Amino acid sequence: MFKKILIANRGEIAIRVLRACKELGIKTVAVFSEADRNSLHVLLSDEAYCIGPAPSRESYLNIPKIIDVAKKTGAEAVHPGYGFLSENEDFAEACSKAGITFIGPSVEAISKMGDKLSAREIMKKAGVPIVPGSDGPVSTIDDVRAVVKKTGYPIMIKASAGGGGKGMRFVKSETELESAVRGAKSEALNYFGDDKIYVEKYVTNPKHIEIQVFGDNHGNIVHIFERECSIQRRHQKIVEESPSPALTQKTRMAMGEIAVKAAKSVNYTGAGTVEFIFDIDTGEFYFLEMNTRLQVEHPVTELVTGVDLVQEQIMVAAGNKMSFKQHDLVQRGWAMEVRIYAEDPITFMPSPGKIMRCRHPQGPFTRVDSYVYPGYEVPMHYDPMIAKLSTWGADRQAAIKRCQRALDEFILTGIKTNIPLHKKILTNEKFLKGDFSTHFIDKDFDGFDKLFSTIDDRVFLITSAIEAFNEHKKQGVWDMNLYSHWKRLGRRLSLR
Amino acid sequence: MYFEVEVKRKKYKVEVNESKTHWHVALQGIGEKPESFDISKVDYAKFDDAISFLFHGKSYMMDLVPSKEGYTIFTGNSYRDVVIFNDESLLHESLKAGGHLGDSAKLNAGMPGKISKIFVKAGDAVAIGKPILIMEAMKMENEMKATADCVIKEIHVTEGASVDTGALLVTFETK
Repeated sequence: MFKKILIANRGEIAIRVLRACKELGIKTVAVFSEADRNSLHVLLSDEAYCIGPAPSRESYLNIPKIIDVAKKTGAEAVHPGYGFLSENEDFAEACSKAGITFIGPSVEAISKMGDKLSAREIMKKAGVPIVPGSDGPVSTIDDVRAVVKKTGYPIMIKASAGGGGKGMRFVKSETELESAVRGAKSEALNYFGDDKIYVEKYVTNPKHIEIQVFGDNHGNIVHIFERECSIQRRHQKIVEESPSPALTQKTRMAMGEIAVKAAKSVNYTGAGTVEFIFDIDTGEFYFLEMNTRLQVEHPVTELVTGVDLVQEQIMVAAGNKMSFKQHDLVQRGWAMEVRIYAEDPITFMPSPGKIMRCRHPQGPFTRVDSYVYPGYEVPMHYDPMIAKLSTWGADRQAAIKRCQRALDEFILTGIKTNIPLHKKILTNEKFLKGDFSTHFIDKDFDGFDKLFSTIDDRVFLITSAIEAFNEHKKQGVWDMNLYSHWKRLGRRLSLR
Repeated sequence: MYFEVEVKRKKYKVEVNESKTHWHVALQGIGEKPESFDISKVDYAKFDDAISFLFHGKSYMMDLVPSKEGYTIFTGNSYRDVVIFNDESLLHESLKAGGHLGDSAKLNAGMPGKISKIFVKAGDAVAIGKPILIMEAMKMENEMKATADCVIKEIHVTEGASVDTGALLVTFETK
């Protein structure tokens, strides 16, 4: 077993990993950027080292520096968390060259799944259903037209090296085709240095459903059921749950088996996620991509199965067999997760800044993964997610009710967060029925004008007026005598 | 003390008076009946660096962050952006109401004051946002700026002149 692990990440996920390490009796090494000197992972770890200035490129993505710290501190393994270097094959390679265990899948698996087009081909060969579209890359408009003949419009043009919505174009009809192809190519070249694109049929009413998979170095691969992550804003998930209200047990098991097949095709080890597009209209599902890392939303899987995914990752990376078999796993009850972002809940503009009051919800079956505390200044350099709230209930309704209760309890002041949005999502009728697609926020959610209706506006009006009064009094700007009570009294008396 | 306060794009007239034991606050939303509140200083008190406010039987812990236009006020997990119009900003508003450059073809004085500086002369082309003149009113200097690109036709006042409300200051043509 490892004695010391370096955590190559920050924020809540660094703390999540740190917790698993502590529970396994492993010492932790944190790395941090100059902007994160006072971040919580630095405070909680056994050792912490600065690896560079605030920009990620110079710190959390600085491979030589991180490897250097691992060597100097004698860390035997590195956990990359999610984001940053978690799906970077160069980093995995550099770790292995330095004799350090990368807690994650093989370099080969990362590389194969990192390229969307190659992943698509591997999945097709393995018998995994993929979204109808082009066989391999397309180079000319005529190639695209040939694909469209089979699939029909609308289509999606995607960059093979893509991610985060970059190099992606939605095409409704022939007239938009030429500029979309040109746009996708140049964007892909700009962002990823690779202008390879491919075409997929566009699923009009999709749900995003993903299967957690897990493998070890002894040939075992299992699935740990699904998570539904259809509630998204700007192509980023904000509410996740397990199970999915859309799946029958039969479909669930079929998806699980296919995900295992997908993972086996690249000899997957550790925690991974096979993402599917689920077509609400037809009930069919297609492989979207495989994430070769721990997911942000892993807590919902942990809550319904009782598996500690991070501990398991570490154990498996150390060469152990995983502690469970497929038939040991059951989904019990329901779990919801909401991601709390430091952002304006209507415009989604990030709102970094200093947190004044901060109290996380507590109570039964309520889990908060967060790294912020009162007085902490949320830096502008990184992802605006500051907390994840997850709740468990015996059924979906109970989990949602508990999540609402916990959100009510959340105290977070000084910066704007999307908590008011979550509260309205969790009471939305379509959401409660499970009747939603990935377009929910853009098309079906009608609560934006009611986000700020739960507290009496007069509370804010009165407070602002009294404080503005106090401020003026302090500055001596206002001629208070104009409104002197003596004068008022005098005036009143003279009117008698 | 009198203010105007804006919350959720709705304006309210607000009057605040302080007595030894209470705050007296009157609120009137535009087109609504006025409401007045006598708030005990026990129910509205500093707590650490926040304000603990008991309003209609419900307790709120209020945190204020000053903003450009007023405050962002937080409580629990919600907040409001509050715009405060005090004497100074009300003056600006009324000056603006006196004449928008670019909206009408003339600029009038929104209130009585003294012209302390003029930056333009007849025939000048003035770009949006550029200052036209400074008017001193209520011991404050107010820079009046062009709200559109325009050409100055005539200037009807001189530096140092005192003017009354509504006095014609500048005529111009927009492009």
